[in-house]
Amino acid sequence: MTKYLRLLAIQMRISIASAIAYRANFIIEGVMSAAWLGLTLFPLVVLYDERKSVNGWDLPSALIVMAYFTALRALLEGIVSPSLTALVEKIRDGSFDYVLLKPIDAQVVVSASRYEPWKLFDFAGAIAIAVYAFVKRGYAPSGGELALGLGMFVAGTIAMYSLWIVCAAASFWVGRLDNLMFLLGAIFDTARWPIAVFPGAWRFVFTFVIPVAVMTTFPAMALLGTLDARTIAATVGGALLMLVLSRLVWRAAIRNYTSASS
Amino acid sequence: MITATDLCKHFKVHKRPPGFAAALKSIVSRKYEIVKAVDGVTFKIERGERVGFLGPNGAGKTTTLKVLSGLLHPTSGEVLVEGFVPFERKPELLRKITLVMGQKSQLIWDLPPSETYAMNRAVFDVPKDQFEHTLKELTELLELGDLVDKPARQLSLGERMKCELAAALLHQPTTLFLDEPTIGLDVAMQVAIRDFVRSYNQKHEATVLLTSHYMDDVVALCPRIIVIDQGKLIHDGDLRQLIKARDPDKRVSFTLASVVDDEALAKLGMVMAKDGKRVTLRVTERELPGVIGELLGTMKVLDLAIEDPPLEDILRDMFGKAKRESKPVVATSKDAS
Amino acid sequence: MRSTTVRTIRALPTLLRIGVAETVAYRAEFLVWILTTTQPLIMMSLWTSVARDQSFHGFTSAAFVAYYLSNLIVRQLTGNWVAWQMMDEIRMGTMAMRLLRPIHPFFAYVSSHVAAIPFRTLVALPLAVILLVTSGADNLSHDPVQLAMLPISIGLAWLLTFAILFAIGSLAFFMTQTMALANLYFGLYALLSGYLLPLALMPRLAAVAAWLPFRYTLDVPVLIMTRTMSGEELAGLLGRQAAWVAITLFLALQIWHAGVRRFESVGG
Repeated sequence: MTKYLRLLAIQMRISIASAIAYRANFIIEGVMSAAWLGLTLFPLVVLYDERKSVNGWDLPSALIVMAYFTALRALLEGIVSPSLTALVEKIRDGSFDYVLLKPIDAQVVVSASRYEPWKLFDFAGAIAIAVYAFVKRGYAPSGGELALGLGMFVAGTIAMYSLWIVCAAASFWVGRLDNLMFLLGAIFDTARWPIAVFPGAWRFVFTFVIPVAVMTTFPAMALLGTLDARTIAATVGGALLMLVLSRLVWRAAIRNYTSASS
Repeated sequence: MITATDLCKHFKVHKRPPGFAAALKSIVSRKYEIVKAVDGVTFKIERGERVGFLGPNGAGKTTTLKVLSGLLHPTSGEVLVEGFVPFERKPELLRKITLVMGQKSQLIWDLPPSETYAMNRAVFDVPKDQFEHTLKELTELLELGDLVDKPARQLSLGERMKCELAAALLHQPTTLFLDEPTIGLDVAMQVAIRDFVRSYNQKHEATVLLTSHYMDDVVALCPRIIVIDQGKLIHDGDLRQLIKARDPDKRVSFTLASVVDDEALAKLGMVMAKDGKRVTLRVTERELPGVIGELLGTMKVLDLAIEDPPLEDILRDMFGKAKRESKPVVATSKDAS
Repeated sequence: MRSTTVRTIRALPTLLRIGVAETVAYRAEFLVWILTTTQPLIMMSLWTSVARDQSFHGFTSAAFVAYYLSNLIVRQLTGNWVAWQMMDEIRMGTMAMRLLRPIHPFFAYVSSHVAAIPFRTLVALPLAVILLVTSGADNLSHDPVQLAMLPISIGLAWLLTFAILFAIGSLAFFMTQTMALANLYFGLYALLSGYLLPLALMPRLAAVAAWLPFRYTLDVPVLIMTRTMSGEELAGLLGRQAAWVAITLFLALQIWHAGVRRFESVGG
């Protein structure tokens, strides 16, 4: 266990060192982060400029969903995406073989191998949005709601990670998969909206087929105190199930790789 | 100890003929072909041996190494490395072996090798003092100097290879799989690496399996060679014995003071090559003393060399023969020096 | 100079054929690429839901459907990835190889992208049919002259998108952070071209967008498809589109040449 932690620490150190090596990064990334946040909020502003509420979701509650989305996206673009891109590169140039030769679990090492530390800006932005939303609402969440909101965020992160690992595992079979990641990113993009704003059929898809609702809408509802116990249980259970399934897919991918690569 | 019993590894390869129509068709249906990369190979290697795998391109050498190191699992047959089944990739085994691929790098490209070493140390869980001791030893033997502090992409091919070797040996493995480690390197570097591998083998009693296109690597380093062609093992044994078995005749090369006609030369032995005054004859061992005597007695000779036939010729002949006969010739011998 | 042009033209069929072969070589990826531009569909479901009971800024649900499906069709046909391709090649060093070939890389890139168009048309076509069936008369333009101009507008939009991305890709000769720039471009594009939201929903922004090239990469063809307009308006839009194409192509090639000069002096 300590071995893995030490390894993670080294990988983080290396990533941060490379990131800091370019001083211009700091400014560029800060600007990009702010710009992206602005862009994200635009459709929301356009929507709520004309309507007071959509299917029971008013501006502050929609902003909470947006805050969760931004935080999740920060994790995605900060850790998951860079690491899995590195994985696809390794598979392409054949140096993934060396990962398999090391006495460590390949999935763990590969999932957190590369970081984009500047995505912390986005995290800060997410918190800022959430604070603003509650200010606009007029009251703060209770301690219980805060704890639940945090717990559900973890579940949402697990769900997101599982989807991406399955995608990365697919790259073993198919080779070049930047586009699948892009597709997943596009679908993930729907998470910025409360799923209630989508018509019925989509709501079903986004809850059960590609659990986007698990990632942002349910955590937002938890923080707002409108989530019932049954949904909480289903969400947590669902996230864990996704994790297990993604692990199985990963193992199958490795088995396939070790029988097909010449 | 490494054992392979009737090892087979087959691949499914997608075949597509050229042309536009075929390209479109391949969206819906694809034709697959089975390639038998390794087809029934059996051998046994003891601890501390240095064994060279020889064979033409696509013979199955790299595939065999990959199966032995656990990167591929066999289609059929049994493989055991130090008592473990390689493709189960048990950590205990992974700590004992190492694979170096001359064409692929494990060094992190944008960073100095020292960072890769730090990673490997964490991965293999090497205690600090052991790590520093090993690193010092490797730095000396490989003459790394301050190379380890330069980003890997700034190193020349030879420098990078040395750093790769160090990275691969930090955990002091006892079995080394080297897949074309000297490819693309200049002669001096090739010699340096050969010397290093030999001394590592002697010092740590490490088993070394080497594949290489360069005959010199194998001749200099490996007393025992295994020849693989088209997935089949066609020779396993001592190098000198192989040469003796396949082509026992000697090659006598000399430079004449003045040109001699072919007839006179043919009386001495079969003329292999003649370039003005430089001649190479093929002579059986039995006739050798007589021929040398006659040569020195009747002709004016400026220099003289008596050699075994070149390994390339023997192998080329073997591979060609294997294609024609498709019957493996196995002569096993157990004395490794 | 003339012989280079002739050689380029002669090589085009081969370049195109290989472009197709490359596209097809990875079956799954190719399919996925076709599916990637899903953002308009998601937006569409959102806004049709919002406008179901009450129209939004003058857009009915059906109008939104017409808008976003047109959006999707144009996006499919103008989609471009040359900036990423160039960034990759410069980073990996394979750009040096490309520069050694007697065909100007611009044309090589163009042909590999053009080669993908037939396949994208295969996706766009069913969408076009759905569009016709679901949107009804009010939300699509019927003017034959206007529709005849549509392919031209789409062609210009394609060229404009390509030129912009080619310029961004060329910047990779100068800087390492071109990825951030490409992302910035995409963000601006999403907002100012009508990709994310119809420009009509954001009047103040639309005024700014009118002065920028982005709307000519998507919004203009979509307008031609969904709104009946006067001959003058049509001519004006097309004219400005063509002007932007000319300006951007010129700038892009300038950046390219400067980049290659730098590349050749600094080394790969």
